[in-house]
Amino acid sequence: MMLDAFLAGAHQVFAFDTLIYMLIGSVAGIVAAAIPGFTVTMAIILTLPLTFTMGPLQGVSVMLSVYVGGYTGGLISAALLGIPGTPSSVATTFDAYPMARGGEPGRALSLGVWSSFFGTVISTIVLIIAAPPLAMIAVKLGPWEYFSLIVFALTIVASLVGNSLMRGLIAGVIGLGLATIGPDPMMGQPRLTFESSILMPGLPFLVVLIGIFAISQLMGELEDHGKGPSSDALIPDVIEFKTWAVMREVLMHPVNLVRSSLIGVFIGALPGAGGSIANLLAYDQAKRSSKNPDEFGKGNPDGVIASEAGNSATAGGGLIPMIALGIPGSAVDAILMAALMVHGISVGPRLIMDNADLAYGMFVAMVVASLMMLVVCVLSMRLFLRVTDIPKQFIVPTVMICCVIGAFALNNRVTDLYLLGAIGLVGYGLKSLDYPLAPLVLGVILGPIAETNLRRALMSDGDWTVFFTRPISAVLLAAALLSVIFSIRSVLKMRKKDRPATDEQDGD
Amino acid sequence: MSQTTAKAAAADAGASAALRARTEVARLISYIVIGLGAAFLSLRASTLPTSRWEPLGAGSFPELVFGVLAVLCLIAAVRAVIDIRKAGGANRLGASLGAWLVARRYSFALFGLLVVYLLLLPLGGFSLTTFVFLLIAQLMIAGISKKTLFQSLIAAVIFSVGLNMLFAEVFNVFLPRGVLFAG
Repeated sequence: MMLDAFLAGAHQVFAFDTLIYMLIGSVAGIVAAAIPGFTVTMAIILTLPLTFTMGPLQGVSVMLSVYVGGYTGGLISAALLGIPGTPSSVATTFDAYPMARGGEPGRALSLGVWSSFFGTVISTIVLIIAAPPLAMIAVKLGPWEYFSLIVFALTIVASLVGNSLMRGLIAGVIGLGLATIGPDPMMGQPRLTFESSILMPGLPFLVVLIGIFAISQLMGELEDHGKGPSSDALIPDVIEFKTWAVMREVLMHPVNLVRSSLIGVFIGALPGAGGSIANLLAYDQAKRSSKNPDEFGKGNPDGVIASEAGNSATAGGGLIPMIALGIPGSAVDAILMAALMVHGISVGPRLIMDNADLAYGMFVAMVVASLMMLVVCVLSMRLFLRVTDIPKQFIVPTVMICCVIGAFALNNRVTDLYLLGAIGLVGYGLKSLDYPLAPLVLGVILGPIAETNLRRALMSDGDWTVFFTRPISAVLLAAALLSVIFSIRSVLKMRKKDRPATDEQDGD
Repeated sequence: MSQTTAKAAAADAGASAALRARTEVARLISYIVIGLGAAFLSLRASTLPTSRWEPLGAGSFPELVFGVLAVLCLIAAVRAVIDIRKAGGANRLGASLGAWLVARRYSFALFGLLVVYLLLLPLGGFSLTTFVFLLIAQLMIAGISKKTLFQSLIAAVIFSVGLNMLFAEVFNVFLPRGVLFAG
């Protein structure tokens, strides 16, 4: 049964047109992430409308190749310009940039590419092993457990992302609230629509996503325009990549490689935490367990391996809760989930049973995507360096047009575009005030699932205490409470630490 | 020397405390606005008819969610007020709002342009409106010169007419043709 599904999935992924689209996706992901200021998330958002006409697996495969390519693309500007192309390659600049400056830019890039490749492959192996049994357990969960699981997921997101737990929670709950506008998920009764034809069908997830993430990001790109810093690029004309020698070098650090990848998988599987955290955490762990921690930050290969394997491995990790539980691990996974939902596939623990070929096809696509990324990078890395030179004047307005097309293509409704503008402005306001946006987006996608499960739970038994008396549900709610208490405690601790210093300064 | 450094540090700390206080005021306003909105929506949801078939009706979940949101905003607002008082109050709010807007003038100009573009899109159709939007936006960001005008014209043609054709031919997505050109 499993082998059949695996072969059926592989058959679809290895179709000629799928492979071509995936190749284009790989290149697009690398290019998008190589441009400083453009994130992997934005690249995937813009890919989604292009996949509407494809089959579900083909569409998701293309998006996965953008995803995998994107995690590697950030490496290029991180290593050569010292600017992280995406937030998930911040730690990559610590060692790859000094190495490139020290006269080995080719080695720095190759180390990053190989580590990304192995990181993705290791995370896919963990995904294949972990997702099916987790789904088997998840189908036995009742609506009580599911509701508690979502509460837990949202509290984790709020406490992990951004600088403030409170604003994280507010953003998450705003997301849940936005999802309630429009017809209710069980009876279809209109709610909070104020009899406006724009709000009647509800807020489409993709429009919210593009508005919140992309429009606000594009507006942010033009802040302080005119006095922006110019990067002092120092790219030599001839770069020696030493591809095979570096592959051996990466494999000579198996402990670091596997540890960093596993950190990436674990962080990726936590809702809300993604590449940017895994990248730093894997680097930190590599430094701590190194015999020569002083060499980190000066071009140590271990630093490059850890940071790149760590961020790339979150791709597979994030798919574990999405495929097994129907709960996306990050904003990107939420978009993948939305893509499947557009094709009429319900994502949840039954996905792996009802659409086994799709789930296993996604595993195959992950491996194929990482192979493609490797080939594309090795063959044409120099070309991508030129991308960082494209001026903002072309990128910002053009990407904005792509956002408008994306929002329109979903339902062919012009009113969706007005929503896009309004949500974009709200997103920009929230972003400027330092509200994290990822919890909001996860809130929007988890809202209807939470509501349906809550109402189902109370329909079969009107007693609220059941949420606390069913053991798994109680454990999950306790874990949610603990995660809030834990992050409040760490905030209080930080404040205590800061206080003596500021008091002294004030006293002077 | 060290005294000057200490004084500079103290001045820096004072300035950053004032900046923190001003940012906190902006957030306080956002908490109040979101909180009031949430309270209104929660009340509004509570007026939705209850269901005969289940203990929770269509309005219960939004009532709960917006209620929680209002409470969270209230807590955040109280904490923000305490923080602002601790930082010695916020002064020169008007000036800092002005500076905030000036730093973001291009962002808001681009947004304004987007709004006009979206309003005109159903009338003028995708190709024409997009061409004008791209041309103005690019020249606004890059400044007007012979070189930028030439580059912007080419880019605007490619991404308006070109994108329209690409979507229609390859992806079967038909973008608005516009009232002016329909029929």
